[in-house]
Amino acid sequence: MRLLNIAAFFFALSSALLLYGLNYDTRRLEAEVQTKERLADDARSDIAVLKAERGTLARPDRIDGLARQLGLGPPKTDQFDSGREVSELDTRPAAKGR
Amino acid sequence: MTGARGNLRILDRDARRTSERAVSGVLFAAFAGVVIQLLVLAVPRHPDITLAISEPIAATSFSRPDIVDRNGRLLATDLEAPSIFADAALVLDRDEVVEKLSTVLPDLNGGQLLRDLSDRNRRFIWVRRGVAPGIAQKVHDLGLPGISFRYELKRAYPGGKMAGHLLGYTDVDNRGVSGIERYIDDKVGVDPVHSAVLSSRPPVRLSIDIGVQHALEDELDEGARRYKSEGAAGVVLNIKTGEIIASASLPRVDPAWPMQALDNKHIDRMAAGTYELGSVFKTLTLAMAFNEGLAKPDTLLDVRQPLEAGRFTVKDFHPSNRPLTVTEVYTHSSNVGAGMLALEAGPEKLQAFLKNLGLLDQMTTEEGPLAAPQLPPRWNRISTITASFGHGIAIAPLQFAAAAATVLNSGKTVHPTFLRKFDAGAADGKPVVSPATSQMMANLMRLNVVNRDGTGGKADVPGFRVGGKTGTADIAAKGGYTSNSVISSFLATFPTDDPQYLTFVILFEPKGIEETRGHRTAGVNAAPMTGELIARIAAQLGVAPQTVASTQ
Repeated sequence: MRLLNIAAFFFALSSALLLYGLNYDTRRLEAEVQTKERLADDARSDIAVLKAERGTLARPDRIDGLARQLGLGPPKTDQFDSGREVSELDTRPAAKGR
Repeated sequence: MTGARGNLRILDRDARRTSERAVSGVLFAAFAGVVIQLLVLAVPRHPDITLAISEPIAATSFSRPDIVDRNGRLLATDLEAPSIFADAALVLDRDEVVEKLSTVLPDLNGGQLLRDLSDRNRRFIWVRRGVAPGIAQKVHDLGLPGISFRYELKRAYPGGKMAGHLLGYTDVDNRGVSGIERYIDDKVGVDPVHSAVLSSRPPVRLSIDIGVQHALEDELDEGARRYKSEGAAGVVLNIKTGEIIASASLPRVDPAWPMQALDNKHIDRMAAGTYELGSVFKTLTLAMAFNEGLAKPDTLLDVRQPLEAGRFTVKDFHPSNRPLTVTEVYTHSSNVGAGMLALEAGPEKLQAFLKNLGLLDQMTTEEGPLAAPQLPPRWNRISTITASFGHGIAIAPLQFAAAAATVLNSGKTVHPTFLRKFDAGAADGKPVVSPATSQMMANLMRLNVVNRDGTGGKADVPGFRVGGKTGTADIAAKGGYTSNSVISSFLATFPTDDPQYLTFVILFEPKGIEETRGHRTAGVNAAPMTGELIARIAAQLGVAPQTVASTQ
């Protein structure tokens, strides 16, 4: 019985010490989680802003103007060819335009 | 002796038991302490609670899902924006606060703020919500005690005015007021939030393609400028699915500035206005005649004499001196011919046909209810004749486009939608017209574009098999029709061998210009605009030119 009590006493002591450490670890981790959550919130907000900025930069009326400055324009009918002819390009031994 | 030793042993045993109990008690208490402490650690703490109690209770705002186009490109999103509020208890000098704030916010209602601040018990007074970060910084730099900031969500539209009418707008609490924004509140759902918490809902995917939308808006801008029109509108519709690929109305509105959308000039002419659309309506009259077996494309009609109905006389813009076939009635746009076909069917059949096409009832899309159609009070001889060529019956252009799409979709009803659909969906009910009638109409529309004497020649785009019909309607005014202002429109479909897409372009009060030799009929303005539009969008919509399509 005495042996059991002594074992329990040491067990209680070691758990208390462990708990003491655990307590500090938990507080630290909690603080860390909060920091990370704040960072995630900031990142989410940044993503929203960047998404909106990308939307603004990619708006077709802007791209249209820029493309026309480069001499580009809507596709013309003669610019299209059938998929079969394009796939034949690969199989022809000396395909034109290579 | 033995008795005394026995007593001692009992005492000894009692003492030991007591001390054992004490030790067990201490150990139990120690373990209980460990368990309690572990439980305390395990329960998550809410640091926000303290914040929520100390902060004044503010109005709730709403976080909304993004709106994207059919390809996932952004049309509307929530952004964090600072809002300025005042705490009357902390304000030292009310006059100074109002005076200094007015330097940064010139349109501030100073008198109202002064009155609000005079009540020291008011701990939360909005000064301005959703300001630009630069403005917030300037207010912050004023260093006024009692003026603070909160971050709230504010709707942003990266595309500016693009698709402004159909997107609608939100109020200061970020709730949808009109258009798709209203639909999101009613059907998709928004989340009330107390601070700037972005929505975790998936984005709302529209049927709009912003590439096609831009091409449509650009062509309408160009057309309105060139033909000096008061306004313009257009729609691109997928006939098979009912998806609206683009819809625009000029003058445009900016969803970020909703106030300007309120005046009559800025309404969405595609959905919120009804107009007598003129000869484009003959497409429906002829479809009815073919479907009822009243005529074939080569049936001859004697259109030389004007149609008399009471005190009205209906005649053609360019009267013919010979009988015309039904095909020619369409390509020459003969009012008399269309009237004769409608009279042959009779008012009941015409009315029933328009009813089956959904033209006599108010239509609703995700953007909201369309303007209710304005119908003749009585379906008599004159109203039957005029309705056959699109007068005396005023319809929202989008509703008309849907009816025309139904005719071209083998008679299967087309329900226009602003939401992306991934399949054509099951057809509901009996087809309104037979597939043969549908194909006949597509052929007729094509003939109207390729025939030398057709009215839609300027809409042709080589390779894309465009078919169409012009409409030039006098505008109804007090006591009759104005002789000098028209609505000119062009209804088109492509490719006509299997109609996939429908476009409907309208110009409001275009003027005759040098290029059109003073004419303002649809054949010289709306038709070439449609040609330009289809040349730009056909490839984006995945329609191959005939030279390519025939080899695949």
